[in-house]
Amino acid sequence: MTVGPLDDPVMVPVDAADPSAGEGAVASAGRGGGAAGSAARGLLGWVSTVDHKRVGVMYILTALLFLLVGGLEAIVIRLQLAFPRMTLVSPEVFNQLFTMHGTTMVFLVGMPVLVGFANYFVPLMIGARDVAFPRLNAMSYWLLPCGGLLLHFSVLTGAAPDAGWFAYAPLSTKPYSSLPGVDYWIAGLLLLGVGSIAAALNIIATVICERARGMSLQRLPLFVWMTFVTAVLTVMALPALNAALAMLLVDRWLGAAIFQPARGGSAILWQHFFWIFGHPEVYILILPGFGMISEVVPVFSRKPIYGYGFVAGSTIAIGLLSFGVWAHHMFTAGLGSAADIFFAIGSLLIAIPTGIKVFNWTATMWGGSLRLNTSMCFAVAFLIQFVFGGLSGIAFAAVPIDWQTTDTYFVVAHFHYVLFGGLVFALFAGVYYWFPKMTGRLLDERLGKAHFWLMVVGFNATFFVQHFLGLMGMPRRVYTYDAQPGWALLNGISTLGSLVIALGVLIFAWNLLRSAFRGPIAGDNPWGGFTLEWATTSPPPPANFDVVPPIRSRRPTWDLDHPENADWKNRPTAEDRGTRPERGVVAVWAFIASEAMFFVLLLSAFVVFNSAGPTTAAGPAAADATVAAGRAGADLDIPRTLGFTACLLASSATFWMALRALRRAIPAEAAVGADAARRSAGVRRCMAWLAATIVLGAVFLANQVSEYIGLVRRGVTIDRDLFAATFFTVTGFHGLHVFAGVVMLCVMLWLVRAGALSPRRAGVLHAGGLYWHFVDVVWIAVVAIVYLGAFQR
Amino acid sequence: MNEVHNTLVVEGVAKASWSELIRPLWNVSSPAWFVAAAWLATWWALNRNAERGAAASGATAERHAGRRAACALAAAAAFVLSFVSPLGALASGALFSAHMVQHLSMLLVVPLLALAALPRERAGGRFARSPWRGIGAILGIAPLGWALGLGAMWVWHEPTACSAATRSAALGAVRDATFLLAGTAFWWPIAGPVARDRLEPPLALAYLFSACLGCTVLGILITFTPLAVGPVFADNASGALAELPLVARLRGLGFTPRADQQLGGLLMWVPPCVLYAAMSMRLMARWYGEHRRSPEGAAGLPAAGASAMVVATTATETTP
Repeated sequence: MTVGPLDDPVMVPVDAADPSAGEGAVASAGRGGGAAGSAARGLLGWVSTVDHKRVGVMYILTALLFLLVGGLEAIVIRLQLAFPRMTLVSPEVFNQLFTMHGTTMVFLVGMPVLVGFANYFVPLMIGARDVAFPRLNAMSYWLLPCGGLLLHFSVLTGAAPDAGWFAYAPLSTKPYSSLPGVDYWIAGLLLLGVGSIAAALNIIATVICERARGMSLQRLPLFVWMTFVTAVLTVMALPALNAALAMLLVDRWLGAAIFQPARGGSAILWQHFFWIFGHPEVYILILPGFGMISEVVPVFSRKPIYGYGFVAGSTIAIGLLSFGVWAHHMFTAGLGSAADIFFAIGSLLIAIPTGIKVFNWTATMWGGSLRLNTSMCFAVAFLIQFVFGGLSGIAFAAVPIDWQTTDTYFVVAHFHYVLFGGLVFALFAGVYYWFPKMTGRLLDERLGKAHFWLMVVGFNATFFVQHFLGLMGMPRRVYTYDAQPGWALLNGISTLGSLVIALGVLIFAWNLLRSAFRGPIAGDNPWGGFTLEWATTSPPPPANFDVVPPIRSRRPTWDLDHPENADWKNRPTAEDRGTRPERGVVAVWAFIASEAMFFVLLLSAFVVFNSAGPTTAAGPAAADATVAAGRAGADLDIPRTLGFTACLLASSATFWMALRALRRAIPAEAAVGADAARRSAGVRRCMAWLAATIVLGAVFLANQVSEYIGLVRRGVTIDRDLFAATFFTVTGFHGLHVFAGVVMLCVMLWLVRAGALSPRRAGVLHAGGLYWHFVDVVWIAVVAIVYLGAFQR
Repeated sequence: MNEVHNTLVVEGVAKASWSELIRPLWNVSSPAWFVAAAWLATWWALNRNAERGAAASGATAERHAGRRAACALAAAAAFVLSFVSPLGALASGALFSAHMVQHLSMLLVVPLLALAALPRERAGGRFARSPWRGIGAILGIAPLGWALGLGAMWVWHEPTACSAATRSAALGAVRDATFLLAGTAFWWPIAGPVARDRLEPPLALAYLFSACLGCTVLGILITFTPLAVGPVFADNASGALAELPLVARLRGLGFTPRADQQLGGLLMWVPPCVLYAAMSMRLMARWYGEHRRSPEGAAGLPAAGASAMVVATTATETTP
């Protein structure tokens, strides 16, 4: 994970450091990496590519492949439920099917396809030549097939994961799931999580640092803006999942009991951690869909979006609120009525910014000259179905309704209306809209309309009736049912609907294949699109633009096509002030935010299990925790730890000195004669301080190793109790980060020595240093909480 | 003996009306009045100087002056109410949730209103001149303001610190002073009077977004942890205050120390986030309207603070 900040700086050509090189400048052969990738032809060209467009296409195709897998699983589920008491699959296989279906659709279809579109279109829409870190981008992609294969490899072991897509503890812990299915699930998701965070860092840095001149943040196309907010959410939310998965791994592989109530752990803690990730995840999935709709609707209404500021601002509001409402997934867990009321209100509040968006899209269509082609049809269907899914969601925010309908088919109907009727329809709108740009050929409209109507009919037939099934009390995730009055009929309709969907998807796949080779030639701008991607050729050249057109409004391509009626005359927007921070620094700050979240959650788990015991409502967990806290003081050598803490803190100071020395060294070009000696003296000083930093870090690590050995010798092993489990998890992960930091520092030292990090490029060293300082700050928190017992008495 | 006493108290409580229970908790002789008076005097002096300096006139200037005066009065009122109203008595050892309302008022509400009341300074103004320069320079460091704002929240909710500051009046005064100072430092880059020190809207959004996550995590911790974050509030035998008839009545209605702490945690969490979100929305609106804003500028922000405040105060002050 530490690859992120260090990935690229070495191979960035000088002109990329100048942010304003975009406009008017004839693009050179692209970034070092991009040119190398597109030079190779054929399959090798694709495998080795770092071109954002090819990576984007690979993301989308991989997601499409997994869509077929996940769709097939869904069909089998529906067939099993077609009639009462069916025996098509066994209950065990049924559990595996719905687990794999959910996991596949969320992690291997939804997120990758959105990252794919972001990859392809964000740089094009902001007039950039590539993403900020092309190599990191390729790594993010390749983690996707690796994670997907790992997940599906579990099938070959005879035990696909079967604990549901949210893997509630204790079902997912060893005593209840002893087969390796859940282990594959965890490992696969960890890989995918790392890939998603890396991709999100890349998108953040790209949007902030790689915009062409004139593209002020206030002029960003809404798809870019929403993708950006999504990336921020990804960076902040996925660490919660990673922390939970890491602790579950500790439970399953090392014998700890963090999530096992029988041994003092907390199953509710898993629910909290999972949904702290899981709820923002819903917005991670739906926001890019909103972005696509915000591009498609204006173009096919021949109007600019109505209320740009409201659409963009409400996205921020959704992002903020999404972190405060996760517990509405846990109303039945018994959190207490105070918590329930607050979470219910928070969940209701989200309807406001979402509603604003719906009104804006509707107002954009109002009075426009609508072109109801396939793309626009999908967008309109999205609007209607998403509103429907949103309304059933608001119903769920009311706690009593939730108590009544949770874990029934009403829930299944609700989230499929949001994610299928909403997101998937938005995706189809996006595919029909952008396919011509990606391939140079139009999709077939006749097949498209057939696809559209099959989807609308199939989708609503499948999921609308499930609302009734849920209200009638049919539980979800149960492999069969008795012939209650009406159940057979409604389930039959639902299954028929799913077959219609399958037919629609097959037609879509055929349309894609056929049109990619035989479709009519599209031309650069078949729809009269407004945004920058339509100003280049279809498909775009490797460097995206020969000349980036002038950007003076939110619709630069419209301005090009209609100079007499240009937006910058009629709808002035804030001018670009040309601020483009160093991308390494931006990426490292985003990475630090992500890591901070990770450690906050690990430390929370430590506090939960090591508190000195509650004054009220004591349970077995609390009693165990009291014992653990009693041992904690005895097990740890606090004075020694404080000594080595000073060591680590001193390393921050030495690093600061190294950076100062490098910044003060005179650049090589300017160094002649006597200056050359002074220059090399500055660089040497920098290297000496860096070496001192490395030594201090290594001393700290050595102390930690000897502390661990001492603890294990005295019988304090990770599976002993909750104190030991959380202690080793927190300090172990911190140690890993220090280790990664030391490796990073060694690389920096080598780069300085090799002359690759000249004083002019001191920003790179600065970015690496931010990470090192962050690791120190985390350690201060660890010492305060773990060793000195803050927040526990 | 003790049991008899308790029964008597409980019976007395059962008979009394709510207003009879609440009325004795007003602390009209609180020294908070002096602080508020000192603040208003300072504000008046600052404002008079500023008016003399600026030759601005007309309806807009008058409206701004009126808004600033309203903010100054509101800051004083919020401060006084935190100590004089029953909230003050309940906060000093009886109810954790009352303490939380007081805490948020000191840290977020009063400083924001106070900053909104200060006359705007274009390029440093008074804060670039000698006696104030050091203060202006320190307040201008945004990361420091962020760390102080969040630090004050976290440090004073470390259970030991929280209890100690509630037990000792002197430490309590220190705590309240750090709240006011940290709150000023926190809001300075967002709503401070010096235009130069205010963050660009995108950075300000990140500032508020991350601050929101910070108080969310603390709120979650307080809400869900089995531990008493303010042991002094949970400990029924901690002193005379715990036997306040009002508290006894509330306890009788099922408002246990546990529920009290849950409410406190949720107050830590939701109202600040609503305030930050409201400020963020206001910043976004200004940002998207940047091209048509007059160079005068910056006048909108106090209004944003005030309107956001209404949301926050109505949300917090309806609690027991």
